[in-house]
Amino acid sequence: MVADSQAIQTRQLSKVYPGFFKSQQVPALTELNLRVDQGQIFGLLGPNGSGKTTTIKLLLGLINPTAGDALVMGQPAGDQETRRRIGYLPEESYLYRFLNARQTLDFYARLFNMNRAQRRRAVDYYLDFVGLDPSVRGRRIGTYSKGQTRRVALAQALLNNPDLIIMDEPTSGLDPVGMLEIKNMIMRLKEAGKTVLLSSHQLADVEDVCDRLVILYRGRIELEGALRDLLEKKDVFQLSARNVSDALQAKLAEIAAQAGATEVHTGRARVRLEDLFKELVARKRSGEAR
Amino acid sequence: MFGLLQQLGPKLAGAGIALGTVYHPPSQHHYVSMFADVVIVLLILAFVLTAFRDIARLGRGLSRAWAIGRVTISEAWNARMWAVPLVWFGVCVLLGVLIVRGYEPSGVVRVYMTIFLRAQALILLIYLGILACVTLPRERERHTLVTTGSKPISRLELLLGKVMGLSAAGVFMLVIMMILTWGYMKAVDFKIRHDAQVLYALQKKSYDNVLRRMPPDTGVKYLAKHGVLQAQNYVSGALSIAGYINYQTNPPSRLLKGGSSEILYFEFPSLPATEYYRPMFDFHFAVVHALPSTKPVQIQVTLVQRSNPMNTQESTLTLNASGQAVWMPKNPTAFFSYVNPQTGQIYNPGPVVVKVTCPDFGVYLGIGNGLRPPSDTSCMAVSLDTNRTPHHSGMLAPKPNPVITGFKNNGKQEIVGPSIRHPQIQPEVASWDFTNVDQRQIPIGPHGNFTVHMVISVDKQSNEARAPIAQIVAYNTSTPRDRTVQSVYVNEKRITTIKLPATLLGAGDLIVNLRSEVPGHWFKVKDDSMIIMQPPSSFVWNLFKSEAIIFCEIVLIISIGVTASTALGWPVAMLTAMVAYILGNLFHFVQSLFQSGGLELFDYVQDNRMKHIWYYQIGSFITNVMVHILWVVVHLMPDFTRYDPLHFIVRSKDMPLEIVLLDIVWTVACILPTLAIGYLLLRKQELA
Repeated sequence: MVADSQAIQTRQLSKVYPGFFKSQQVPALTELNLRVDQGQIFGLLGPNGSGKTTTIKLLLGLINPTAGDALVMGQPAGDQETRRRIGYLPEESYLYRFLNARQTLDFYARLFNMNRAQRRRAVDYYLDFVGLDPSVRGRRIGTYSKGQTRRVALAQALLNNPDLIIMDEPTSGLDPVGMLEIKNMIMRLKEAGKTVLLSSHQLADVEDVCDRLVILYRGRIELEGALRDLLEKKDVFQLSARNVSDALQAKLAEIAAQAGATEVHTGRARVRLEDLFKELVARKRSGEAR
Repeated sequence: MFGLLQQLGPKLAGAGIALGTVYHPPSQHHYVSMFADVVIVLLILAFVLTAFRDIARLGRGLSRAWAIGRVTISEAWNARMWAVPLVWFGVCVLLGVLIVRGYEPSGVVRVYMTIFLRAQALILLIYLGILACVTLPRERERHTLVTTGSKPISRLELLLGKVMGLSAAGVFMLVIMMILTWGYMKAVDFKIRHDAQVLYALQKKSYDNVLRRMPPDTGVKYLAKHGVLQAQNYVSGALSIAGYINYQTNPPSRLLKGGSSEILYFEFPSLPATEYYRPMFDFHFAVVHALPSTKPVQIQVTLVQRSNPMNTQESTLTLNASGQAVWMPKNPTAFFSYVNPQTGQIYNPGPVVVKVTCPDFGVYLGIGNGLRPPSDTSCMAVSLDTNRTPHHSGMLAPKPNPVITGFKNNGKQEIVGPSIRHPQIQPEVASWDFTNVDQRQIPIGPHGNFTVHMVISVDKQSNEARAPIAQIVAYNTSTPRDRTVQSVYVNEKRITTIKLPATLLGAGDLIVNLRSEVPGHWFKVKDDSMIIMQPPSSFVWNLFKSEAIIFCEIVLIISIGVTASTALGWPVAMLTAMVAYILGNLFHFVQSLFQSGGLELFDYVQDNRMKHIWYYQIGSFITNVMVHILWVVVHLMPDFTRYDPLHFIVRSKDMPLEIVLLDIVWTVACILPTLAIGYLLLRKQELA
């Protein structure tokens, strides 16, 4: 029995990719027990081949489990009606190259049985939402840059205003600004009460937005928990202040040492490169706007 | 739910039976076709049971399927689909220009329509067949199925979407092709009419002003007025070469002309191998006429085994005074049936044909029509070996009765006119029986007449100088005494119109008899040499119906292609679709193997007595297994020979709507199990 608050639950979910001989069989996922609550942003981390994409495909019913089962929004994975409430952004932007952005979104909107007015509204809204340049919307996707294609792929994932959004490497192929926009968008989705399952190699992305995460290794969960708990060093204290002189810095270190603290480090705080880039771009943009 | 099933159950069973008769007509119900029917019905049942939820959702799902279809069309369009009709048109015009030279106007239409429609079917079958085989595998290779599969779409909708999209692409191309065909034919028709108008004006001018001998050709006038783009409707009668001197007898009998190349065929279908037959043929002919100098009349009979044409036996028989001859073949065990002396089992070597000719010149033999041989002028019977089959005794007519397959003469039959040397010999009569023709079907003229059209060839033999004149006798079987007799001038190979009173149309059959009035003139006739015209249909409508037949064929190949590609890569899927198409075209050939022989690689024997040797028995077993497997496979394949878009339009005849509707029903009935297979293969398949 799945609680209403759970968006995803898997029980002993396993997947072995078949081979002609037994030696050629590849165990991609082994007895995965996963629980994602509604309204959470959940991170799925792991190195290449750890089973992240396999997990997502199993949750969408695109592949069949070898053992175990998965429930998505309270229904078995792959249920047709449940897929109405799911948005999926695949690892690569698998779109029809001969359609333009509008036609692409119109096609996916038709799969949700939207009427003409709804389709037109949704297509325009989400193309604006993902920030696709209006001048390229009538061009075939085959002529798009990777970033532009990714934006269209993202738009199709959001087209049905889903309750659960599954994103596989959402920032892949995007520039840092695009990445930032995606992260902001994920936060906005969270504010709107959506559940997001995020699979990414970009650990900074996950760190910035996720509530909980699991780290997979060779198809098994190696670490699971709330991000705050996982990242917090219980035995390390950090103090941050402005206008601290070298003398005060030395005195603080001395006080700490006298009080029994070990491995005391003091020094100038460093800004993250991402923050620096963000600030620079924001400044440039505000300058252009003036 | 249970109640609903209870309600639907009998209806479903009825539909199943109806479907069974659609797949294989009752007359062909052999256990293999029964087996095929059961497999097909089980497939559909499995489909309905497994796809129950998907089918229930199809109401809104069809719009999702259509969305898939639209993308498929876009893909085809992107692959320059629009160029296909243009390439086709160019090829057809080129072929037409190369082939069509100096034909008669109707021949021009026949050749052009054959080229245009055959090429349409061929090109679209290949093009859309290939697209059908690659569309799903290509989506799999490009991973677009991953994105699509994450949306609320079922596998059934995916499958239907592909079929719908490609079918719509087919409709698009067919419409373009139809417009181009019509436009081109209209141009051809315009030229032919224009030429005919000019020719008729010249003929008329020449008649009016100069010679006053040869009147202008009414055929040319007809052509100038109506052109060649016609879709005629007419009622044709069943032709029997009635003939016989006293043709008032019912049924009238045909003459076998002595000293000619005419051959009379009797065919004994394969008799059941449950009883032992010892052939003894008992021929009864009415010696209608024999020249005074003729000795006792002889006939030559030849016995041929269909499965082994080398196994023949010939004999010359002399008819007695009452026209009877009895013949027992020398080696009866080689024909009809054979008993294995060791096992006592009876074997049946298959159908047997008996050919009869009469070598004596000046002799005319009257024979029955074969189907209902009258007691005085018939054919043959086979005796049973009463020792082995105590249930029967004496002579037994084979069941079904022997069939006269016709007199060999290039598809036409000649009726002999009055003899110049022997005027006492009565001419033969061709008789057309128009069944149940009433006045509602036939346009009646202002003078209370209706028109019969006649097209026959005349062989003037040695009497070239005389114009061909035919005597027409028409009556209705309900009032046989009220006869209309006319003498008409025959337009050779062209339409001769005959006006008959509408009173002849009524409750019974209309009989129209034709004979030559000119000594030495023979007429060549066939079934549709005599027709009653009805109001014509539109040529465009007729063309549309032909296109509809092509469309049915295309949709079927698309379904097969898409189904094959659900589980196979595109090259193997293409091969599968091609094999299905080839086997579907061999349906009647394979079905006839049991009757006409063939596939005797492993059990061919020179003599039936060798058949009990063990290695021949093994060979026979292997052959049987192979034939049965082939038969089962062929019965499971759709019969592509049904689709004939040309048959009517090249004859300028309107295609009956029932044929189109039946082909549509047949296509749907074939698509159902095909898609059922596709769905069952795709249902649990991984899309990523």
